[in-house]
Amino acid sequence: MSLRLVVNGEDRVSRAEPLTPLVDVLKDEFHLTGAKVACREGFCGACTVHLDGQPVVSCLVPLGMAEGREVYTVESLATAGELSPLQRIMEEHDVVQCGMCFPGILMVLTSFFQEHPRAERDEIKAALVGNICRCTGYERLVDAAVALAKRS
Amino acid sequence: MATADPSNVTMNLRRRDARDKLLGRTRYTVDRMLPRMLHAAILRSEVASARILKIDITRARQMPGVRAIALAEDAPGMHGIGIADHPLFASGVIRFHGEQIAAVAADTYEQARAAARAIEVELEPLPIVLTMADALAPGARLVHPDWKNYELLFEGGARGGNVAWEAAVVRGDTEAAFARDDVVVVESCFRVGRQNHVSLEPRAVVASYEDGRYHIETSTQVPWTVRNMTAKLLGVPASQVHVTVPPVGGGFGQKFDCTLEPYAAILARKSGQPVRLVYSRQEEMLTCLCRENAEIKIRSAVTQSGDIAGREAVVLMDCGAYGGEQIFLTTMTAHTLGGNYRLGSVKLASRAVYTNTPPNGAFRACNGVYNTFALERHTDEICQAIGMDPLEFRRRNVLGDGDLGATGQVFEGDVLGPMLDRMARLREASPSKEPLAGGRLYGRATVVGTWFIFVGPSTATINLNADGSATLITAGVELGQGTMVQALPQIVAYELGIHPNDVIVRNADTDAAGFDLGVGGGRTTVSVGAASLAAAADVRNKILHTASELLQTQPERLVLRNGRVEIAGIEGSGMTIAKAVQHAHRLTGPVVGSGSFTNPGVPAMPGCAAGHFIDAIDIPVFNVHDCEVAVDPDTGHVEILSYKVVQDVGRALNPRAIHGQIQGGVTQGLGYALHEEHTIGEDGCIRQGSLETYRVPLALDTVPVEIDLYEGAPSIGPLGAKGAGEVPILNPPAAVACAVANATGCRVQQMPLTPPRVLGLLLGKEPAVELTHIADNWWDNVLMRPRPIDR
Repeated sequence: MSLRLVVNGEDRVSRAEPLTPLVDVLKDEFHLTGAKVACREGFCGACTVHLDGQPVVSCLVPLGMAEGREVYTVESLATAGELSPLQRIMEEHDVVQCGMCFPGILMVLTSFFQEHPRAERDEIKAALVGNICRCTGYERLVDAAVALAKRS
Repeated sequence: MATADPSNVTMNLRRRDARDKLLGRTRYTVDRMLPRMLHAAILRSEVASARILKIDITRARQMPGVRAIALAEDAPGMHGIGIADHPLFASGVIRFHGEQIAAVAADTYEQARAAARAIEVELEPLPIVLTMADALAPGARLVHPDWKNYELLFEGGARGGNVAWEAAVVRGDTEAAFARDDVVVVESCFRVGRQNHVSLEPRAVVASYEDGRYHIETSTQVPWTVRNMTAKLLGVPASQVHVTVPPVGGGFGQKFDCTLEPYAAILARKSGQPVRLVYSRQEEMLTCLCRENAEIKIRSAVTQSGDIAGREAVVLMDCGAYGGEQIFLTTMTAHTLGGNYRLGSVKLASRAVYTNTPPNGAFRACNGVYNTFALERHTDEICQAIGMDPLEFRRRNVLGDGDLGATGQVFEGDVLGPMLDRMARLREASPSKEPLAGGRLYGRATVVGTWFIFVGPSTATINLNADGSATLITAGVELGQGTMVQALPQIVAYELGIHPNDVIVRNADTDAAGFDLGVGGGRTTVSVGAASLAAAADVRNKILHTASELLQTQPERLVLRNGRVEIAGIEGSGMTIAKAVQHAHRLTGPVVGSGSFTNPGVPAMPGCAAGHFIDAIDIPVFNVHDCEVAVDPDTGHVEILSYKVVQDVGRALNPRAIHGQIQGGVTQGLGYALHEEHTIGEDGCIRQGSLETYRVPLALDTVPVEIDLYEGAPSIGPLGAKGAGEVPILNPPAAVACAVANATGCRVQQMPLTPPRVLGLLLGKEPAVELTHIADNWWDNVLMRPRPIDR
């Protein structure tokens, strides 16, 4: 049994069962540990990846559903070691704490900013409603995201 | 001795670990994998109280992929804090829903779970002691019938029946105060539920058994506790356990205890392979080591002019089936509920009570959060009774220089008073948000809080390298709080005249670093920081002496700055630190320094405190919080309109990082105030088993916190610093509860203030909390009879 999918632009083959959660395939087979398994229930958003350009919680996507499709993970955001503008502004504003939620938050906001590059603060907060962060209280990372939106 | 440029120490240094966290490259314990690694699962009880008649693993052992099974007989020891009352596996008796019965290691997690389910357990049900009222009722069944025979690890607490531990304070004559004819007596009752930490990284461990020693890689706040407690449970010398700690994905106190590490260690030894054990979110919800549910009865005798002549209180803390952290936390009541205000006389009883429910643990500002809620609401009820403005009452009564605390310690410096003035200025500086309330009920409250730094022993070693960098070795852990990547390198760099980026900070490793009490209680910047500063001073002396010979200049005339040893006042003179170290290599050998720190032990008044682990607080930390709320009279929904914090930080080493801690801590506190709560069903099982039913704050729930850092209060911390990460959560429930009471005119006695509860208050349908199991005569609530010394 093998399934093909495209992960971060590369053709990959998985030998896992089709019902295996995509996040486990990414972690255990492809050693991409960026997407974080924090609840396995779709509530925390830490495992968010892009599936054909749409943000999805990869703990709830069975591998079979990803067959032949394009998956992008947090590891794809930087190009040639250069942080994406979103990653860079989060680093500049020094908003990261434990960091477990950031892979999911970055994937959600990256996708959101593609469609709403000049979003307002309230819209950014609404976009993050599926991501739990237990450390930061959100506001300072939202400040950083607002600063990025103001630049564009 | 020459001093370094003080302008270096305060800076908004960025976190060095942020980039990899943003790139998805950071490898937490949950991301660790080793060759031949097995996966473990725990078999847990599905009843809360039972006798174990039989455990049969015959079938489980033959299941596919199974490599090892661990049972009670593999872990003969008992652990605990104060009392060794807790076995690793249920032994003969089940005491809570979710209690560990067996652990299985297999090739895959699914195989381990299947085998755990295949273990046959025969049980005889026993009655459940569900609540603290049940536990304290006359003739109640004992959760630990054998309590008298447990090993005592700390002397002094009174114990008896279902009271696992009791700490009491008696200072002065409260009976006389309450009997005065010029006082008003105000009595209040409060009840709070459990709060779950919801660290995004669950508890997780990878254990190996190599060369006769256990190597435990774990997501913990307390590497040395894990080392010592694992050894105690397994019955092996502590030197056979080696603990290392990768980056930790959130702790908040949940990881301030040894929990799952021994299971993985036993399975690794039995199987001869590395074993990974990661708790599922459901396990984290149902067996979390929560902030405990508590009940508080407090009464005060207050004069019409607002002096508190006497105060008596009883605090019941549910420790669940085993004493754990709550034994220690009985100590805190004296310093939290007994804090904030000058008291003419005081009696406090703080009791950890056994029930057949999952054990509780430590959570950021343990005990202080609900006691501050109770104290501040009680204070407002006093103000209402005597007709005094709550801010005026607080200004009159907050602890100041030379005032006595509950246990008779003498406080130093006027801090809370000036902080109230700073809050008044912060309030004046921004317009009230009352117009945003619209047709809703508007309320506001300013509250105060007393917390303290939990100091205790730490040690540090610094290697000054031949390239001019320094390597700092401690057992401190980076949980996200930033201390290890900001405050510590800043402190060391300041002392050595180098850039913080040239201070390498080693991850915690008990084979490399000496003993440390762990990360908690706001102690890392203070205790690990003080040890690091002492180690840096040691290194500094050595390098100055080496350079003084080379430069033919007295060491007193040399300074360390910009990576150089310079002659004071002559910029660019002397030599690089790297060169001086290279010289030392030839002359005396490599440059290494060490430093240690422990609590100085501020005295309490003799005879006042009984059963306390800490009689007086070494470093008090004060808060003033202000909150505006709007309450929807139709739904009971509470919206936070504004939130302001004046926080006593001693000295702000990294103001931006402290702002991050305050925003995060306040938000966690607002969650506890408004919607986070675990409740327990009749079967003794926690009802909220997932993030669907346990509601943590989301991005749309938060407001930006306005912050003023109060510097200059006395502190024995390094460079005058205090811990800043713990205390922000102390006051939000108090601030919200007082503001909601002001908005609605209702007596707020419980948290969280969910819409149904607030609506119930507004409609007069919310039953009053009366706590009839706490006796009116304070003495009837305590086992111990401390001998008061009248003052």
